[in-house]
Amino acid sequence: MVEQKAVDTYLPVLLLLIVGILFASLSFVASGLLAPRKKPTAAKLAPYECGIVPDREPPTRFPVRFYLVAMIFIIFDIEIVFMYPFAVVFRQLHTFGLVEVLTFSVTIFVALLFLVSNGALSWGPAKILTKGMPSRTSDSTIVRISAATSTEQAA
Amino acid sequence: MLHAAYLIIAFPLLGSLLLMTFGRRLGEPVAGWLGTAAITASFVVAVVVFFGVLHAHQTDCIPGLLCQGSPIAPGSLLNDQFVQHLFNWVNVGGFHANVDLLVDPLSITMCLFITGISAMIHLYSIAYMHGEEDFTKFFIYLNLFVTSMLILVLGGNLLLTFIGWEGVGVCSYWLVSYYFQKDSAASAGKKAFIYNRVGDVGFLLAIFILYSQLHTVSYVEIFQRAGHLSPLWATMAVLALVLAASGKSAQIPLFNWLPDAMEGPTPVSALIHAATMVTAGVYLLCRLHGVVNLSSTGQGVICGVGLATAFVAATVATSQSDIKKGLAFSTVSQIGFMVLAVGTKNYEAAIFLMVAHAFFKALLFLGSGSVIHALDGEQEMVRMGGLRKVLPWTFGTFMIGWLAIAGVPPFAGFFAKGSVLDGVFAKSPVLWALALLTALLTAYYMSRLFYLTFTGEERFTAVGPNGEPGIEHPHESPWHMRFPLVVLAILSAAGGAIDLPWVHTWGLDTFLNPVFLTTTPAATNSGSTQLFLAIADAVVAVAGIGLAWVLWRGKAARPELTPAFLKRVWFWDDAYDAVIGRPATALSKAAAIVDDEVIDGAVLGTATLVRRGADQLRKAQDGYVRTYALSIAAGMAAFLIYLVTRVFS
Amino acid sequence: MNPITVPSISYFTMAPMLVLFVGSVLLMAAASLLRHRLPEVVSTATSVLLGLGALVVSILQWDHLIRHGSSSTVAGALVLDGFSVFVNITVSCAVILTALVAHDYLARLKFDSAEFHILALLSASGALIMGAANDLVVVFLGLEILSIALYVLVALNRKNEKSAEGALKYFVLGGFSSAVFVYGIALTYGATGSTNLAKMGTYLSANVVHRPGLLLAGIGLLAVGFCFKIAAVPFHMWTPDVYEGAPTPVTGFMAAVAKVGGFVAFLRVFETAFSTQQSTWAPLLYTVALLTTFIGATSAIAQHNVKRMLAYSSINHAGFILLGVVVLTKAGFAGSLYYLFTYSVMAIGTFALLGVLGGARDEDHDLTSYRGLAKRRPGVALSLALLLLAQAGMPFTTGFLAKFGVIEATVAHGEIPLALLAMVSATISAVAYLRVGIVMYATHDVPTPVSDGSSFKDRAEGSLLLEVEPVATTHEVPVAPTTGLAIGICLAVTFYFGIAPGALLDFARQAAQLLR
Repeated sequence: MVEQKAVDTYLPVLLLLIVGILFASLSFVASGLLAPRKKPTAAKLAPYECGIVPDREPPTRFPVRFYLVAMIFIIFDIEIVFMYPFAVVFRQLHTFGLVEVLTFSVTIFVALLFLVSNGALSWGPAKILTKGMPSRTSDSTIVRISAATSTEQAA
Repeated sequence: MLHAAYLIIAFPLLGSLLLMTFGRRLGEPVAGWLGTAAITASFVVAVVVFFGVLHAHQTDCIPGLLCQGSPIAPGSLLNDQFVQHLFNWVNVGGFHANVDLLVDPLSITMCLFITGISAMIHLYSIAYMHGEEDFTKFFIYLNLFVTSMLILVLGGNLLLTFIGWEGVGVCSYWLVSYYFQKDSAASAGKKAFIYNRVGDVGFLLAIFILYSQLHTVSYVEIFQRAGHLSPLWATMAVLALVLAASGKSAQIPLFNWLPDAMEGPTPVSALIHAATMVTAGVYLLCRLHGVVNLSSTGQGVICGVGLATAFVAATVATSQSDIKKGLAFSTVSQIGFMVLAVGTKNYEAAIFLMVAHAFFKALLFLGSGSVIHALDGEQEMVRMGGLRKVLPWTFGTFMIGWLAIAGVPPFAGFFAKGSVLDGVFAKSPVLWALALLTALLTAYYMSRLFYLTFTGEERFTAVGPNGEPGIEHPHESPWHMRFPLVVLAILSAAGGAIDLPWVHTWGLDTFLNPVFLTTTPAATNSGSTQLFLAIADAVVAVAGIGLAWVLWRGKAARPELTPAFLKRVWFWDDAYDAVIGRPATALSKAAAIVDDEVIDGAVLGTATLVRRGADQLRKAQDGYVRTYALSIAAGMAAFLIYLVTRVFS
Repeated sequence: MNPITVPSISYFTMAPMLVLFVGSVLLMAAASLLRHRLPEVVSTATSVLLGLGALVVSILQWDHLIRHGSSSTVAGALVLDGFSVFVNITVSCAVILTALVAHDYLARLKFDSAEFHILALLSASGALIMGAANDLVVVFLGLEILSIALYVLVALNRKNEKSAEGALKYFVLGGFSSAVFVYGIALTYGATGSTNLAKMGTYLSANVVHRPGLLLAGIGLLAVGFCFKIAAVPFHMWTPDVYEGAPTPVTGFMAAVAKVGGFVAFLRVFETAFSTQQSTWAPLLYTVALLTTFIGATSAIAQHNVKRMLAYSSINHAGFILLGVVVLTKAGFAGSLYYLFTYSVMAIGTFALLGVLGGARDEDHDLTSYRGLAKRRPGVALSLALLLLAQAGMPFTTGFLAKFGVIEATVAHGEIPLALLAMVSATISAVAYLRVGIVMYATHDVPTPVSDGSSFKDRAEGSLLLEVEPVATTHEVPVAPTTGLAIGICLAVTFYFGIAPGALLDFARQAAQLLR
């Protein structure tokens, strides 16, 4: 009997698995059925189907700050994941829950503060490089961006 | 007064430490004087302690002190023994050994003559070692030697005695090899050390046997429990002790290191290889008399060893051409007499002869040293002769020594040897006859030595047989060499007084009696027998002297009387070389191959293996994360595979 | 809806970790809110004070523990017992010592000192959580707090490629092993119905598991996770790269704190939850311990970089500490705890010296640069030689008693072959330590065989000890007072408790007895 019950509890998982496999395979099948049956040409495979044909690989480098921001976002994203269930049982948890969540939030907030103070969210060149640079003009911006690029490369 | 006993050891130890630290700065002769002063202080303390023991002897118990005999009635075995506990030494499991000093008539007698003669010889050495490069070192060794010897004598247990025993051994080695630049001195030192080591095995075996049977190494407890020894173990212990004694005291079969040990400076020969260290074996047997008494077989062996050694060495001594070697064999022979006395349970006589011998043999050696000193290091008697006029002091004192060792009444040797022979006669007249023959030989070879050195024509002025230049003006020694000679001459002449045979109320015999508690064998001889024996001794001594006079008067060499067989010590060394030396060398060479190939191979092989392994491991560590992850995965797989086998097992 | 029961929380139990954690958050806030960089002195002082605070609280906990016995809190997820207090005290000491060591180092290499201290404090609080965790999930939590902070600490030296490389390797492999560990938690939860160690233990002792596959697989995976953390063979391969790449004070901190946290959690999980299955998993850990001691020792002697050598030596030490887990007796626990404390102190001291000797940029860790050190810097050379000898197990140091303790426990448990082989490995590892000593003390007049960078075995027989090239002297970094103080404390502890070990041994024994 116990065995039977265990299987019961795992049934949804099994079903999900089956559905997942079915979905993936059916997608391929559908795509095969629905897609136009033409051999791709070189022009079709080009990154841009129109405009100037690029004579070199498009630049793939971009500042690592994108990742940084993404990572910081994830932290707060996950914070929200905790916030929702907390909000649901907020009343039952009373003060205890509030204190715990505040502690949690404060910690993460202080971390954010630290990141901001270290320039994690400031675009453009790192703090060290901005020192001694001319005030912002169109010329200086170009200098700044190139400086930023060089620091990224150096990093 | 008895509490000062530790000072007897402390002074020489302090002396050697001071010399080690400041010796080089003090230099000659201050270092020598410091050494002498240390020993003299030790002697003074020994005298004080001696009076303490004497007082206790008379009052039968020592007030306020640990009287070992207190639970036992006065006059019993443990009377007159005072144990000074210095500190706990070894206390492991059931094994206890403390640093205790055992002060009793026996040990204090030894201390007295050891420190006394050592002081004399230190004084003598200041002049004798004059100008030596390692003057300070000599006195360091000498002081260390005295320290060790006193530890040996005063040690309250076998272990402490063993420390002293090894200490004197190593000091002897250093001093024999003192002129280590000389090949012969270096190898003589090694020979002495190795022979002694063989003897040490005997000592260790004796300690093991006694500890395993009696569960103690302390003398006092051994005496109390000796009765528990089974006859077999008693005999084994005695045989082990005989081996020990034969090593240190140069007895058959380990006697032939002593003549070679004469390579050391003459004061060393006098002190270590005549008066003190070589008597350690006899002392050990006397100290453990309680064990020796239990085994009649053991006593028989001791008698045999002693008599054989005395006889063989005496015959060899008749053919030596080197003055010091002649004296060395005479030492061996005399110690043979002492061992013989131990074998007849006549311990008091053994000690008496030991003391008397220490006086006259030290005197003879110092005398020969004086001769050698005068002749710029010449030791061959062929190149002496006629020194009577040149060295009057030496001549006079040496003559007393000669008469004493020959056994002419009333010198010390007569009484000492007489009391030994009395005991032997009481045990067996046959042994006595052999011993008497040896006594005759003693008188003969000593007279030969004396005539060759001091009488006849002056051969030293001529060119030597090997082309050595003649010695023009030999001179008498300075006062610090003559003074010890005179003192020792007086002692040799009058030393017999410490134990006259017809006095039974005082003297060495009575003093030692509480230690040994044996009925004096001489007492079994009736008065008339004793008189006969005394006359026999005296006649033999005079006969030996006369025989030598007839044979050697005015002669320098008589090859027909000194055959190679005797010169080469009955081919004893050659036999050892053939039976032990060569096979052992061959075996060692074979073993060396095993060492080089097998053992070194295994060691280096292991090292190489480890290194190769390390090398492989380094290669495995290639720096790629994928490899590391693979390693983790492989480990995990191994874990899981193992656990799967556990599930299905 | 059922009302949620709020678990009772004993803040006293959590006090040391709260001190470190809150302290680090405050330090972080201060560092962010100030206009200028926080002065080094301030962050070091904060770190030291927090360490001292945690130490004081831990000592109060010990006192409480002795008088009232062990207790649990937060619904049995955290405990206050001998192990946890032992970890609290050891890690607090490590925090203080590391802060002292790092002070000068951070200034010299121009690191952001606040960052280092924040991370170190966080990491230490993770170790404390691991030490007190009585629930697999909390163990995991502690493990991750400990590890993630360490990943960043390892990467702190941004000017050094090896630092980044080590950090990345550590991170990737650490993530891998964490996944394995979590899977282990899941499987054991499936088998026993709880993640609480005490409940798991009760369940397993009350029920006979008929189909132990799930449980055993879970135990195996948990063991893999722990073995990774403590660098046991074959999960050790990250260790040399990470130890070498990390800034040297961080290496010392890792060797101390990460090992303490990992080992105590390992001990607790396998004692509280899985002691009933000992006959099953003991052979596994037996093999691992053996491999760890041997491969650690053997690899150590082949290293030319002293930091790498010490990394392997730490693997060897881990094998010894693992013996206490294998035997799973009180004596074994006491031995392991004692070993952990003493090794932590020795490791921090040794790496502190290495940090000084590494030169201005912390790069000269090749054995060749140690040549003739005894003449150039006798004090430093002597201290290093002493600490290395202590690690080798020289009598009159804690290193000797540590080895003695675990070996004694192993022998008492009847695993005589294991004990013997471990001792053999100790002999092998001694070569590695002595080699450093000889290089330091054998001065220039030692003939140097020409090294063409060829492999090890091509060189002359017996040249293991001397195969070092002439020294290229760089300008020397003086020993700063704080670093000197830390090294002095390490030496003093190592020798004081080596000669008079009573107090520390009693501490370890009682801590082992007071396991909840």
